[in-house]
Amino acid sequence: MVIIFQSKPSLLAGGVVAGPLENRSIFSQYFDAVYDDERWQMKTNEQGHHKMIEEACDAAMKKIGVQSGDIDYFIGGDLVNQMTPTNFAARDLEIPFIGLFSACATSVSSAIVACLLTELGAANFSLAGASSQHNAIERQFRYPINYGAQKPKTAQWTVTAAGYALIGKHREEYPSIEAATIGKSVDYGMDDPFHMGAAMAPAAFQTIQSHLQQRNQKIYHYDLILTGDLGQLGLKLLKGMLVENGVKNEELTLLRDAGAEFYGQDEAFQSGASGAGCSAAVFFSYVIQQMRAGSYKRVLLVATGALLSPLSYQQGETIPCTAHAIEITMK
Amino acid sequence: MTLPLLVVLMLLNGCAEKEKFIVYGPSQNGSEVEALIKEEDYVERSTVIYYDDSMLVAVQIKPWEKWKKAKLEKKLQKKFEEKYPNKDVFVSADYKIFYEANKIKKDQIEDNKLNDKITELKELAKEET
Amino acid sequence: MEKEQYQQLEQNVTPKPPYLKNVAKAFFVGGLICAIGQAVSLFYIIFFNFTEATAGNPTVATMVFFAMLLTGLGLYKRIGQFAGAGSAVPVTGFGNAVISAAIEHRSEGLVLGVGGNLFKLAGSVVLFGVVSAFFVALIKYILVTIGVVSW
Repeated sequence: MVIIFQSKPSLLAGGVVAGPLENRSIFSQYFDAVYDDERWQMKTNEQGHHKMIEEACDAAMKKIGVQSGDIDYFIGGDLVNQMTPTNFAARDLEIPFIGLFSACATSVSSAIVACLLTELGAANFSLAGASSQHNAIERQFRYPINYGAQKPKTAQWTVTAAGYALIGKHREEYPSIEAATIGKSVDYGMDDPFHMGAAMAPAAFQTIQSHLQQRNQKIYHYDLILTGDLGQLGLKLLKGMLVENGVKNEELTLLRDAGAEFYGQDEAFQSGASGAGCSAAVFFSYVIQQMRAGSYKRVLLVATGALLSPLSYQQGETIPCTAHAIEITMK
Repeated sequence: MTLPLLVVLMLLNGCAEKEKFIVYGPSQNGSEVEALIKEEDYVERSTVIYYDDSMLVAVQIKPWEKWKKAKLEKKLQKKFEEKYPNKDVFVSADYKIFYEANKIKKDQIEDNKLNDKITELKELAKEET
Repeated sequence: MEKEQYQQLEQNVTPKPPYLKNVAKAFFVGGLICAIGQAVSLFYIIFFNFTEATAGNPTVATMVFFAMLLTGLGLYKRIGQFAGAGSAVPVTGFGNAVISAAIEHRSEGLVLGVGGNLFKLAGSVVLFGVVSAFFVALIKYILVTIGVVSW
């Protein structure tokens, strides 16, 4: 099931913009812009969300010196109903567009589609990524922003960030995508929307296991395996599952989680960060920059997504989750 | 930090002793009224305004007895009416009436104004919303 | 790994909510809110012509007004995170539920946004409050009629 990209499409650039609270992120130094206004001077949160996507795409294009006219495909998504922010950004960018929803795993699933299009020869350049805006997402999935409900220790904080990667034909000096695994939708019977890490960890586990098996690799073949937004508890659970499957403890240090690290050790964010923008922001800034600097030679990015809606959990459904992985190498 | 301090302050305030049973008016039988109220052990403090042929009995009921406030009010009203059949007695356990009664005593309001004031308080006590 | 096995692991890793601590925090913050309410009530009794029976309405209005200010300034959610039920159960919590929904849906206009969603969270409080009040009154009425208790 693993997809091998013979032409090794390259991650030419990443554009990441984030909101004011994300200044407190340990990754904020890698972002292209951190705005003081979470609405980007727009009237509504949703408009700000849409603006944020455009700015992230612009930042990515500027780095390679291309215009939106040079881009063949724009692939991405977000968590708002019907993904209007991404749809509206596509309208303004005027690039052929496919909206993709894999919840918080959209960053990687859209990158996989972009790589396939590049491999086919259909695209010279494509933009792939995902985004989330805290206020717009929270109001939809949980309570109004200012409602004083107590969040448990297991809850995660939806980030305000957009991360888009410019993917193009293989170039030596850029990190390249060698392989990808599209994950199954996994449901281990978790049903607490305030404990998504526990729901998503099995999906991440299955995707990592199947990728390593089919690639005939072990964890130590990688310099880093970075999951998307499991949070501190989800990461613990993933590690627990791997240990059960005979992974040695020293290998576990290679496993990290963007959501768990995003806000450092700040207790105010409970278990860490989540949201489609979380994995996108870290993967397409920190990871790309570290790889170009030579810190990492082979990285597995595993974005995880909880495929629930407010309706589904109110109706008592459990939360199915998915995880998609891409293997990135740098010469 | 400030929370325990606040609680302690409030407790201290509550412990301050005050004159508990007050009778105000040109009364000969002040001590009799006082004794009458003291018989009822659910009354914590009281102020009785006594004038002409009227009597305003403002009482404060002990915290745990407050559940039965309305009943106790009635009981006291009956008791006073029986004791003073030729007087217009008005018993209230409402804090507003108690507060105003104390104010009447403190300000030494004259008889002519007193009547208006008491009528006003009676009206007030009847309001429901 | 099997589902049951995973659920076992999940139980072990997930920290238990600190119930005792939460109860203590709710008790003190809830108590503090009620103490403030009592102070407001006394204020109305002493400085205006309200009795204990009638001071309730202006006190509730004032407490909801305070909740509105705190919600608008984004402080009520912080109190809520700390106090839990302590700030949700008093009338200020009801105010917060109404006002946060109003602020949230301002972007969809006054009628369909604010009007349509104002009681999104508080609606069930109103509904079940009225329903339970009806049944409590009914039970008391029956008890009084058959002479078990008096009004």
